Amino acid sequence: MTNTRLIISSVIFLAVLLFGLVGRWVYPIDPISRVGGRLQPPSRQFPLGTDVQGRDVLAQLIHGTGTSLAIGVTAAGIAITIAVLIGVISGYRGGLIDELLMASANIVLTFPAILLLLAVSVFVPVRSPMVVAILIGFTSWPGPARAIRSQIMSLKEREFVFLSRMAGWSDTRIALVDLLPNMMAYVFTSSVVVMSAAMLAEAGLTMIGVGVTKGTSLGVMLFWAQMSDAVRRGLYWLFIPPGGVLTIACASLLLLATALDQFFNPRLRER
Amino acid sequence: MNISSLLAAEDVKAYYASSKGFIRAVDGISLEIDHGDVLGVAGESGCGKSTLGNVLMMNVRPPLRLLGGKVILEGKQDLATMDREEVKARVWGRVIALVPQSALNALVPTRKVGHFIKDVVRYHLGFSTRETMALAKKRFQDLELPVETLTKYPHQLSGGMRQRVVIAVATLLNPKLLIVDEPTTALDVSTQKQVLKLLSHLRTEHIVRAIVFITHDIAILRQIATRIVIMYAGKVVETGPMELILQEPAHPYARGLIHSVLTPEPMVRQRGLLHIVGEPPNLLQPPPGCRFHPRCPHSIPICSQEEPPLIGLGRDHLVACHLTSHSRCWK
Amino acid sequence: MLEVRNLTKVYAAGLLGRRGVVAVDGISFTVEEGEIVSLVGESGSGKTTTAHMILRLLPPTSGQVMFEGQNIWDLRTKKDLKRYWQRVHAIFQDPYAAFNPIYKVDRVLYQAVSLMGNREDSERLMQEALEAVGLRPEEVLGRYPHQLSGGQRQRLMIARCYLLKPKLVVADEPVSMVDASGKAGILKLFLELRDLYGTAVIFITHDLGLAYYISHRILVMHKGKIVEEGTPEKVLDAPQHPYTRKLIADIPLISRRWEDI
Repeated sequence: MTNTRLIISSVIFLAVLLFGLVGRWVYPIDPISRVGGRLQPPSRQFPLGTDVQGRDVLAQLIHGTGTSLAIGVTAAGIAITIAVLIGVISGYRGGLIDELLMASANIVLTFPAILLLLAVSVFVPVRSPMVVAILIGFTSWPGPARAIRSQIMSLKEREFVFLSRMAGWSDTRIALVDLLPNMMAYVFTSSVVVMSAAMLAEAGLTMIGVGVTKGTSLGVMLFWAQMSDAVRRGLYWLFIPPGGVLTIACASLLLLATALDQFFNPRLRER
Repeated sequence: MNISSLLAAEDVKAYYASSKGFIRAVDGISLEIDHGDVLGVAGESGCGKSTLGNVLMMNVRPPLRLLGGKVILEGKQDLATMDREEVKARVWGRVIALVPQSALNALVPTRKVGHFIKDVVRYHLGFSTRETMALAKKRFQDLELPVETLTKYPHQLSGGMRQRVVIAVATLLNPKLLIVDEPTTALDVSTQKQVLKLLSHLRTEHIVRAIVFITHDIAILRQIATRIVIMYAGKVVETGPMELILQEPAHPYARGLIHSVLTPEPMVRQRGLLHIVGEPPNLLQPPPGCRFHPRCPHSIPICSQEEPPLIGLGRDHLVACHLTSHSRCWK
Repeated sequence: MLEVRNLTKVYAAGLLGRRGVVAVDGISFTVEEGEIVSLVGESGSGKTTTAHMILRLLPPTSGQVMFEGQNIWDLRTKKDLKRYWQRVHAIFQDPYAAFNPIYKVDRVLYQAVSLMGNREDSERLMQEALEAVGLRPEEVLGRYPHQLSGGQRQRLMIARCYLLKPKLVVADEPVSMVDASGKAGILKLFLELRDLYGTAVIFITHDLGLAYYISHRILVMHKGKIVEEGTPEKVLDAPQHPYTRKLIADIPLISRRWEDI
């Protein structure tokens, strides 16, 4: 089944992925050591110029993309795993457990993540990308959890679940074998969306100083671009590349999400 | 063809174009509707009866295509040759009205019922708002529908009330022919009766002259129809006066259909329910010859080779079955 | 064999569950071995809730369901529960929703076999059950639910009963989603189950015609209570309760026309 959207979005995202993961062997310049003069515009020696500390921007871009992607994947993995666990237990059990879990989801959802991160930034001044990924993951699960919960709540009233109960199956078995496979569509699509959101979140948080402080990521590049007053000074090579790659990555992910939606739900397919 | 017939369909063929070929929903159907008729079109899901309803008023849009036949209005005008815009402007609502399946869900949830009426009447007659509402109020009163419903939102009305409102609005301009498609399905028993009362009222008050009632529910048809057409796989298999067909259905499918009606009567219990084996055919590639022959307990060789023509058995009673043209003693 | 005593189900609503929706209001009735009983009511009458309580899917607010002298809510161990569900089985209304759409339909048969305690001759038993309901194994096994017709799916569900040979089947609107010409065949299967294995059936339905045709006894439910009980003849010829009378008056019959429309 040819789905143009699926193909285009996958290809674009794959390109970004390759760029971030494999690029460092094609362009093996160290992103964190000083290699040239400061704030040099793009030239033949430095295709994307240098930043305020004389580092190669293209090298940073390659490594940064890889890191941002890793953060995205990790955060999405954490968030979706928690969301599935909580959503399934909450939706299937109902009652008090449901109330408690959903109350905690609401708290996490409405608690200003910025405050949390500011607090963390005070106590943990050196934050690696993984730390930030974990933080983002642990604050992104409520939305998907709620959606999964409502899907479970409607699925569990379907007759095939009654029949499984009347075959003496345990709740766990029903959740794993009957319910979860029916929700794969949502889980896939949701993971992709959360990954995109996580990458954007990292960039934003790092830019304002509460995100990654160790290593390179697209957010870090934007942070230094801002520190160097790049927009006002017209130092376009400092902010357009990271911003552009981020936009392309996230846009392709979201496009992929809608393509997956179409794939799983035949009714949405264009005739 | 009877000169006094209100609408006459002659060998009408309408197919749905699909990627796999033509779905022959209406495949050479001829019938006549006279003034004063309540014509029941009976059949199970997938037999083409809803498509027929749409074709009778020339509501034919891709993927549905009219491939042949005539639909003659009052002996004069063939609707099949008319331009679609003309049909919409001159025929729909004024001469023929259609209340499709699930019409009760067609009311826009965020607008009051009165607004819906205004839109409909303004398109056709160009009445002012005041005139429209006066017309609507009077009609509702005549039909014994509560006038307050005009000021309500659809969700405030019960399913049965919505159905009756939709029927009342469809007939505001006094069309000569009203076509209703499954107006009573999904309603509970008492509400069904109310809808039927309304339809009957429309006819006795001469608001409409004739009704085509499309349904799978034979017991409901029994209450209101004067004549009945039984469809199977896009074709008419039997047609005639209601009482006659009910008592002595000649076509094996008609017989199976009528004898599988489940009503709480001793007669049904004694006779037992007839079961027709198999499934209705795929309309993309219907069986050759008589479309019912694979499921017919009485089929003979010619049934798989030649399509049986619709032949008169008696006054007004037509059957499409090879057995009846050979003899009538297969019971 | 089955005895329902003062069964009540109240759904809590509102803050802290103060207000309640009474779905089933203290009903009592019995079902003997081999009996066919119909629970007739319109939507909202509580008949499906009653069915779910009898099937031990929904705990009652008060009252008991006694099966062969034992309160079914006293059964705790998995073994006891499986034994109950082998002897009290269900057929649901929507033959599509009864299947998990991502698995092949064979699974429902395997599930039934597991209730009988896995046996070596399960393949043969499955084939026999399919033939008993008029399905050819080749045309059904290995397929997905959306590849079969509604009638085929419902028959497959009934094949489970031929496998399990339960003492009681609770059938919730088993033919309402089946075409007119297919209904008779499905109903015949229930009658056969009764003739061959003495299976009792509780039909849950809104269709008084179905109830009249096939039951020994009819129970009419309205707003959570049983308002009428008796043999089909008695309920139809001499209805006592005004609700039943109105219900009967509004049913279209073949033998006569309504005069008042």
